[in-house]
Amino acid sequence: MTPGPALVSILRQGAYLIASVHTALDDSQMVRFQDDLIGEIGRARSRGVIIDVAALDVLDSFGSNTLRSIAEMARLRGAVTVIVGIQPDVALAMVKLGMGTGSVPTALDLEEGLEYLDRHVQHSPAASARGGERSR
Amino acid sequence: MPVSASPPADAGRQSEPPADVAALIPLVRRIVEARVGNHPAADDLVQETLVRVLAAASRVEPGLLEPYAIVTARNVIASLWRQADRQRRNQHRVVDLRPAEEPDEQVLAVEEQSAVAQALARLSDREREALVAHEVAGEDTHALASQTGSTPGAVAAQLNRSRARMRVEYLLALENADPPTERCRPVLLALSSGDRRRQREVDAARHVLECDLCARLSQPLMERGQQRDDEVHISVTSDADVVAARQGARELASRLGFRATDLTILATAVSEVTRNIVRFAGSGEVVVELVERPRRGVRVTARDTGPGIHDVEQALADGYSTNAGLGLGLPGARRLMDEFAVVSEPGHGTTVTMTKWLQEG
Repeated sequence: MTPGPALVSILRQGAYLIASVHTALDDSQMVRFQDDLIGEIGRARSRGVIIDVAALDVLDSFGSNTLRSIAEMARLRGAVTVIVGIQPDVALAMVKLGMGTGSVPTALDLEEGLEYLDRHVQHSPAASARGGERSR
Repeated sequence: MPVSASPPADAGRQSEPPADVAALIPLVRRIVEARVGNHPAADDLVQETLVRVLAAASRVEPGLLEPYAIVTARNVIASLWRQADRQRRNQHRVVDLRPAEEPDEQVLAVEEQSAVAQALARLSDREREALVAHEVAGEDTHALASQTGSTPGAVAAQLNRSRARMRVEYLLALENADPPTERCRPVLLALSSGDRRRQREVDAARHVLECDLCARLSQPLMERGQQRDDEVHISVTSDADVVAARQGARELASRLGFRATDLTILATAVSEVTRNIVRFAGSGEVVVELVERPRRGVRVTARDTGPGIHDVEQALADGYSTNAGLGLGLPGARRLMDEFAVVSEPGHGTTVTMTKWLQEG
């Protein structure tokens, strides 16, 4: 593990995972974050994932790409992903770069992100009672 | 041993006879030996003690002379240790500051001398004469100028060029190296003189990346130039350097007063071109510098010694990528920056130069 303060944190919040990036990440740290998060979705049997990128200094092609991959992998594992906290400067740079988050939903901040998940994650009573993973 | 053989002249007039003191000799010797052993000063300590006892004999009550001698002996020994200690502590103050000559120093001096001689020999006659007249004979630029019918300024400039050449030739002679390519000498000369325009003309930075000898020699040449604070060098070999490069660029540009938006745009572009170095070339460098002309802005130069790009036009087209990415690296960076140029030579490497101008007002 890297010494010093954690670069990212992945917290469990009910059926959701809240993943926060705390600092600028280089490419290999970004990939590790992806692997950790996808692994955690299985362990926690999460139905929704919020990725908070407010602390990222830039979202370049690799960063955006990785976020999209995470969202797609999470979807295949039965979880809905929403990205929150993209800073206005970062958003502008992403548009100029010709990059976006594609079909990955975004929300302004954590609160909006949670709201989004509440609306879009199917809570079947049976599944939540068992903490099950059935997505539909 | 001549211990207290002849007591001080005034001792004779004193009431205590020296004979009492003489009887103390074995005692004092025992005490001294017990404390200092075979110390070379042992006899001196005994002497010293007896002299003191003799001097004080008249003031000491009869019968107490023996304890007095014992205490005196102890004190004398203690003061010996104190002195030795003080000397040890102060030794560095009296030491000869020139370190002792090492066996190899002579050899080094000879090498150094021959290197200087070789370097001087490679200068032209006029250069050498002027340099020697100025540095050794101490003639000032005015005198030299009147001799050659020139101006002091021109002489000073010529002297500077000669010194720059001398530095290069000296380092080459010291390394006992012949420059492997014909570009080496002009590049080293440009670095030595600190002439930035000339360095750009001969593309010094790229040559230093490619040429091991010049990379080594350029270190001492660059060190003497004053560090510029409007420039950041980041050598790039790993993912972490991508972050370092974009943060370095952001920090430097923020000093010029770029808006936060433009700082992020700049950082994103730097991130893209630096990543290209890591992925395709393995190693290279990124230089970020503030520019004043034609406008104020930040120029980023990313150089690598990788395989080069065969078709730059194609690499700049959206969607082209050899790395299974989205092909946004170069075209994306071009969209983000105000000016953008790629020069690539297959087999030698790629240089990306890009500029972001400061939006005034």
